[in-house]
Order: sequence, then C-alpha cells, then structure tokens
Amino acid sequence: MRPSGRRERDEKKETDPALEGNITSAEELQPSDRVVYPNQGVCRVAGLEQKDIAGQRLEFIKLTREEDGASVLVPLQKVASIGLRRVASAEQIEGVFHYLGASYDDPELDWKVRHRDNVERLIAGGVLGVAEVVKGLHSLARLRPLPAKERELYDSSRHLLVSEVSVSLGIPACIAEDYVDYALIPPAGVKLPLKPPPKPVELKGPPWKRKKPATAEDDELGLADLGLDLGALDSEEPVEGGEGEAAPAEGEAGGAADEVAAGAAPERGPRTRGGRGEKAKKKAKAAKPAPKKPAKKPSPRKKAPAAKAAKPAKKSPGGKKK
Amino acid sequence: MIRIVTLAPFDEGDIGFLTRTLYRSFGVGTEHLGDRALPKGAEGSDGRFDAVKLLDEAPPVRAFADDKVVYLTNVELAIPEGPLGEPPAWGFALQGGERALVSTFRFAPRGVTESSIEVFRRRLARECTHYVGHLWDLHHCYDPRCAMHPSWSPSLSSDPEHDLDAFCREKSERRIRLAKT
Repeated sequence: MRPSGRRERDEKKETDPALEGNITSAEELQPSDRVVYPNQGVCRVAGLEQKDIAGQRLEFIKLTREEDGASVLVPLQKVASIGLRRVASAEQIEGVFHYLGASYDDPELDWKVRHRDNVERLIAGGVLGVAEVVKGLHSLARLRPLPAKERELYDSSRHLLVSEVSVSLGIPACIAEDYVDYALIPPAGVKLPLKPPPKPVELKGPPWKRKKPATAEDDELGLADLGLDLGALDSEEPVEGGEGEAAPAEGEAGGAADEVAAGAAPERGPRTRGGRGEKAKKKAKAAKPAPKKPAKKPSPRKKAPAAKAAKPAKKSPGGKKK
Repeated sequence: MIRIVTLAPFDEGDIGFLTRTLYRSFGVGTEHLGDRALPKGAEGSDGRFDAVKLLDEAPPVRAFADDKVVYLTNVELAIPEGPLGEPPAWGFALQGGERALVSTFRFAPRGVTESSIEVFRRRLARECTHYVGHLWDLHHCYDPRCAMHPSWSPSLSSDPEHDLDAFCREKSERRIRLAKT
C-alpha cells in the first residue's frame, strides 16, 4: 500500500507538465540511464559511490555529463529535491517546438522578475521551462540588445535546449539547433504547421511575484513622496462599512488615517514628508484666507521694505542738514 | 589551424578571400588543402545530398589535434525533417567537433561583375565563419549582424555581415585559447 503523500505526488505529476519525468527517488535510477541535471545538461548514471566526508559515510549517485565527461555526485537524499528528471520524450519535444513557433509578444520587461523567473524555470520547469527561457529572451532581444548576463543566460539555456533536443531525437546538435531556430525564426514565406502549444510552466509563485494589496507598508516605500496615497483610499472603505468590519485593514489604514488627521486636507497628499509635500502645504496655506499665525509672520517682511523706503527719506533731510 | 578542402572547382580569388577572412575572424592560420572528389554515396533519390552522410563520407585529410576542416561544395544539401519541417540547409557541422561542410548552392549566382563576385565572396566567408563557429561550440546568435545568425533568417540582408559580434567573438577566443595545444 502506498502512502497517501506519494499518491498525491503522483497525481500532481500527471497533471503538471513541468513535473513529468521528474525523478522522485534514487530507486528509480539504474546504471546507464540518461537523466537531465538542471543547468548541467544530459548526464548518464554511472552508479553508486560511497565517500567519507567529515567523518560520515555518505552515499552518492555518480552522474557523468555526456557533453564533456565531467562527474557529478548527487547525495541520495538530494535526488528528489534537485530537479533531476528523465530526458524529454519525443512528444514533449514536439510540444516544445509548437511552443517555440507560437507567437510571443509579451516579454517580461522588469529585469529582476525576469531573471528570477528564468532561473526558476531552468531549475524546475523541465524542457518546456528551458524553451520558455530561450523564447522569452529571444523575444526580448528583438526589442533591445540583451545585457551581458542575460546574453550568457540565453546562450547557456540555448545550449541546454539544443543538447536535450539532440539527445531526445537522436540527431546531431547542429541540426537540433537548426530545428529550434526554424521554429523561432521561420524563413520568409514559410508557414509552420503549428498546433496549440502546451501550457506554459506555472511557477510556484515566489514571494516577489505575489501581488499584495496596498498596505501601510507602502508608506515605507515612499509612495507618499511620489504623491500616491493608497492608505487614504483604504481608509475610506472601513468608514463606509463600519468600524467593526475589516479590522486588519482598518488597523493598517487607521494608522495612516491618524497621521492624516493631523493635517487639514484628508483627500490628497496629506501625509507628505517634506520636499514636494511642504511646498504643497505652503501653496494650500497661501490659497486659504490668512490664519492668525501666518498673518504675523509676513508683517516683518512687509515692514522691511517699508523701513528701507523710509531710510532714504530720513537721509535726505540729513543730507540737507549737511 | 583551419584547413579548407574543396569538393568542387572554386576560383582561387574566392578561396584567398575566404582564408583571409577566417584568419581574421578566429585568429588561427588557414590554408587550402586542395580539391577532393565528391562522395556520390550521399546523393539521395531527389538529387540532393544528405548533409550528415556527405560529411561522414567526405575524404579524410591529414589534420592535427584542434585542427578544423571545412569542406566546400556546390551541391544542394538536405537534412532530416524536423517536427515543424525541414530547415533549409546551407551547411552542416559537428558541434564542437572537427569537420564542417558548406554549400554554395543557395548563394546568389557568382556572376561576372565585380560587385556580384564580391557579394558571393562575402557570403561564402560568412557561411564558412558560421560553420567553423559551430566547430568552436558557438550557438546561433539573435543579432542579424553576426555571422552566427541563422542563414535563412528574413532579417538578413542580401549581403550580410561576415563578422562575429562581440559575444560570439569572445566565446570563440576563449574556446580557442583552451583548445590550443
């Protein structure tokens, strides 16, 4: 009887194309099996190896990279977590080509998001994830030249894709690359016989991808300095719904509203901190009828020119005296 | 060293231009080894030559470690059909290997005017740079001004550049430095 956890994992494996072919335990591997090590390429299983490291006897699976014969040792416990997978099947590869040939007009423009997504896709996305990286960077390169780091990533992901296509279809790497580019850059006048591409790999949603609702933390980002007041928008809802509802939102917005309460204008830009905010306040004060305090301050300024004007008047009679 | 073997008659001026260009692109000596007979066994029923088979059956030449051999021909090449069709074959190379094949079949006719000959020579130099680049483990490049851009790309002009871009040049130099015996 299988444990329920494994059953769930197998069900997920069937539904998620990215996890298809993933190796979940070392028992699935046999010597001379071909596997793909993320970011390393196609490797062949050489066998088990034991090593004494820091006084402990550890067991490793030894892989040999086909490209250059380099050895890779994977601890048995890590086999499931490093993203080791079988070489893509011919059906998967065909899906990859249909994906590459499909139109793609939406490259991610934020380089931080793009870089993290690409790294994640290369590790956990399977062969389709690698194709997504190639296609995404290729589409971006049509808009503007890639920066040096991404140019290298483009080249290495292309290398991984070409080598896996080559191994999977049993063709030389140069021809595999021609196939890839035939899909990416079809010759003039050629219409590719495309089928609906497979569903792109859904990333697990790293924290930086999740969209958070606007909170008081936005204030720390300096949105107020930009003249954006998300807290004020939030603060309106609890007022309509009543104070008892949406306590956390109210708490967050309430803090902001307390700060707002100190100012006179609650609608826009009340939580300004110096800079443009101060200027806005001064303008607002200037527009209003003069309150008591400001009425006193301008008086010496106004007096000064009057005094200056008075001085020559005093001198002139003095001059006459001389 | 890059060694050029012709499987069809080529003009000496064209070969001279090619050797100079390859030397400038990769910084390694280039020489023409001479003519060899075209292996007919690679010819298919449709009159085209299987590129993989042709390179496999090409007459061997004496070469040393890290030498690259480029075979020049003028016959139409074919490569196996892929999932989306058969890409047009301008040549074939063993990625990271030692031998490459380039065909002038798809070039614009050489003609007799100076300008057409110049275009032919530049195209020959570009394709040879491209496939020798594959021998140095270079991949295709997205930049149409680079010699590693796919040969059939609609972005290429009728007289494309025959130089490598900065990234491909650096990568090839790195490979050559590592490979030099």
